[in-house]
Amino acid sequence: MFFTSFTANCHNPEDFVISEIERGQLNFENEQIAAEYGAALKRQRIRRLNAMPWLKKIYIFIKAGFEHIIPEGLDHILFVLGLFFSSLKFRSLLIQVTAFTLAHSITLALAAIGLVKLQLSVVEPLIFLSIVWVALENTLFKQTTKWRPLIVFSFGLLHGLGFAALLTEYGLPKDSFISLLLAFNIGVELGQLAVLVIAFILVRAILINSKNKNKLKIPASIAIGSVGLFWFIESLI
Amino acid sequence: MKELLIIAGIFLIISCEQKTKIDPTINPFLQEWSTPYQVPPFTAIKNEHYMPAFKKGMEENLAEIDLIVNNVETPTFSNTIEELERTGKLLSKVQRVFSNLSSSNTNPQLQELQLELSPMLSAHYDKIALNEDLFKRVDAVWNQRENLDLTKEQEKLLNDRHKQFVRSGALLNETEKKQITELNSKISQLSTEFGQNLLAETNGFELILNKSDLDGLSNDIISAASEAAFQKMNKVESETEKEKYKDKYVFTPHRSSMYPFLTESTRRDLREILYKSYIMRGDNNNETDNKKINAQIAKLRAERAKIMGYKTHAHFILEENMLKTPEEVYELLIQLWVPALERAKAEVADMQMVADNEGQNFKIAAWDWWQYSEKVRKEKYDLDESAIKPYMSLDNVIQGVFNTTNKLWGLNFKEIFDIDLYHPDARVWEVTDKDGSHLALFIGDYFTRSNKRGGAWMSSFKSQSNLDGSERPIVVNVCNFPAPVGDNPSLLSFENVVTLFHEFGHAMHGILTNVTYSSMAGTSGPRDFIELPSQLLEHWASEPEVLKSFAKHYETGESIPDELIEKILKASKFNQGFINTEYLAASLLDMDWHTISYTDPLKDSNEFEKVSLEKIGLIDEIAPRYRSTYFAHIFSGGYSSGYYSYVHAAVLDSDAFEAFKEAGDVFDPELSTKLRKTIYEKGATEEAMDLFVNFRGRKPIIAPLLKVRGLDGSSG
Repeated sequence: MFFTSFTANCHNPEDFVISEIERGQLNFENEQIAAEYGAALKRQRIRRLNAMPWLKKIYIFIKAGFEHIIPEGLDHILFVLGLFFSSLKFRSLLIQVTAFTLAHSITLALAAIGLVKLQLSVVEPLIFLSIVWVALENTLFKQTTKWRPLIVFSFGLLHGLGFAALLTEYGLPKDSFISLLLAFNIGVELGQLAVLVIAFILVRAILINSKNKNKLKIPASIAIGSVGLFWFIESLI
Repeated sequence: MKELLIIAGIFLIISCEQKTKIDPTINPFLQEWSTPYQVPPFTAIKNEHYMPAFKKGMEENLAEIDLIVNNVETPTFSNTIEELERTGKLLSKVQRVFSNLSSSNTNPQLQELQLELSPMLSAHYDKIALNEDLFKRVDAVWNQRENLDLTKEQEKLLNDRHKQFVRSGALLNETEKKQITELNSKISQLSTEFGQNLLAETNGFELILNKSDLDGLSNDIISAASEAAFQKMNKVESETEKEKYKDKYVFTPHRSSMYPFLTESTRRDLREILYKSYIMRGDNNNETDNKKINAQIAKLRAERAKIMGYKTHAHFILEENMLKTPEEVYELLIQLWVPALERAKAEVADMQMVADNEGQNFKIAAWDWWQYSEKVRKEKYDLDESAIKPYMSLDNVIQGVFNTTNKLWGLNFKEIFDIDLYHPDARVWEVTDKDGSHLALFIGDYFTRSNKRGGAWMSSFKSQSNLDGSERPIVVNVCNFPAPVGDNPSLLSFENVVTLFHEFGHAMHGILTNVTYSSMAGTSGPRDFIELPSQLLEHWASEPEVLKSFAKHYETGESIPDELIEKILKASKFNQGFINTEYLAASLLDMDWHTISYTDPLKDSNEFEKVSLEKIGLIDEIAPRYRSTYFAHIFSGGYSSGYYSYVHAAVLDSDAFEAFKEAGDVFDPELSTKLRKTIYEKGATEEAMDLFVNFRGRKPIIAPLLKVRGLDGSSG
């Protein structure tokens, strides 16, 4: 470069004084810079997604959905575990999980299209409360009520809004909207399934010498409920 | 167990992350960059890496110079001039990243570093420029230049190097050298003071308004002014001061705040106050007054020029430019001045008519110009920006400029997605030539953000050279276009479109460059030439054929209608009398200040300016673009006797584009190739005038520019 001190710029405001005089000082507001950065990150993700082959896009969204359960979605994990401990009977569990899945798929889709919009600050405490409710029900009632699937369904609607908040942050390219929404949902289901499978294996290992399933149900539910309650209170403060 | 395996498998897939090739324990500037295309490893570079790398870079640079100086062999072109080209690689590596990021993605730490580094770097470069033993070797090579059998490019490099030393005072005796050093330090001190005063004067004035003073202002402007008041309120401590800004609206003499106010406010009294606060900056007879400082700077520059053996400072500066003497510059400026002033007078008459028709009872004054010219614009040109914008989505415009260079030179652009840059809004493309070979990387960083400097510019992260194998450049364009809102694309005004083409023209200069020595690559030519490649490309943005190809409605995909194109073209002639008159007046003022003789007594700034402007007959309704007390370009920046450069380059680009018009095809293949070979590839390897003549077959003429700007009497 020799001794011309860096002259390769054109229009570079090499004379910062001039630019500052004409346009005023730069204003470093951390919040604003962070918000701008977040928006830029989303734009970048969408650009990158748009450029990817179809299969890779699908994979990315399945992965994002899965990660939203494991490891990022402790609240959803707890809720699913709550369902799990309510009944170790396969049939009842299947009904509940299906109701939950169906419900959160509906709100996720509605929110992604933009038909439903709820502040995360409202949705989140309610999600925590749903965990508490399921745990409470597990502890207090011997048998799950017949309204249970309906209750689980309405909780599912809530959780769907939670997923949607993440998905909007992530950004959905317009041209492959439906397939990617579906892929994300599949990821969520896989994550959920993984939680159930792990729980099933662990519980089987622990209960191998015991006949009484309720022995585990009550303490586990109390634990789950307490965590949910703690989160709920924390989210209100 | 099967389930477990599946789950474990899924986890394995998820945790397979890309590994970075940069060792995080070592300063990234002090290691080889094995990144793709040697893009700086931005994510690894932290604020604390710069200073140690700068220090090491300067140290290495001096050691390399010592090696050249202490070489026992007799000085040759290769062991001296060419070897100098190889010095300072580390310093340049860190300086390029730092200089770019401290403009485009800065933070308080980088700003502090900038203040700290600036004197360190100038001391460093002085050490080399004033190294007598080094000059002896360069001089020895230069003296035998006739017998060295050098290529044209090598000869230019040798001459440039030699001249650089001579212009730093290498041929002067000891007393003279001491005088020059003293003068330099005095001038630089005064320049800094000039800038600081100006900053204080600009930031020091505020027009604080009540809700009842906002007549005529649109909601956007009002909310910006309210936000400005709110920020000021948060900055002050005491309750009484806070009370001053509470529920108020603040306007300042910054152009971004003043112009909208002057355009919209129907309160003539307030327009006058704000306008006068702007043009009186540095002229308020207070402790931040600039009237003595500017006159002293001009006088000291004249003295320095005298010692260096030049008639005036302008002679000293212009020697390096395309126009070589003050006479040539004056001739150009006056040729343009006459039609510009005439046009400006006609514009005043147009505005007066609007005012009279409104039943106003005043003579148009300088502070009325923005408001009434806008009224004339609506009446005469009827161009609605919001009707154009939907056709100008950023992606379409980028594609438009890519296609333009594809049609001109066969270039292709492929976006690369897996290289991390310094900000997620910065995008990168690989540029390949007609034959598919790699030409450069092009980075586009288009959206405005709060930690980016205003304006638009081109720069590079890596320069081009063919000295030790072929090194291709990494070029960047930085702009301040509005970021998209929600899911909509970013939509540009036509002015923004022209800016994008302009900066891309600079980028082309940096990308197509094909020279041996990097110090002569791309945009390193003289100031009154380097705007040619950029301004030239602007012409394609206004070609109906080109516009139609890229300006497609972002929702419907429809091409821009002909009548809208017509309106755009017609509107480009709007207000040209004013724009040219204020600019030319400032350019002439600049020349006047720098053609004074060292024997002249210290000038009285206001008197000097008055005489200068009366001489050319500037009208009261227009002030020069910059008055002497706030002409930072020439008294605190690097534009002394160079402010004319912009219009000189405009003469060149209008004339150069006229060649395509004459050929009847704006993509004429033969002409395009010639343009590339004679201008865009050449960097500074030949005299700029020769480059132009090689392309055009003759010296530039001003008629095409007058036509482009509507100063040829055709519009009225």
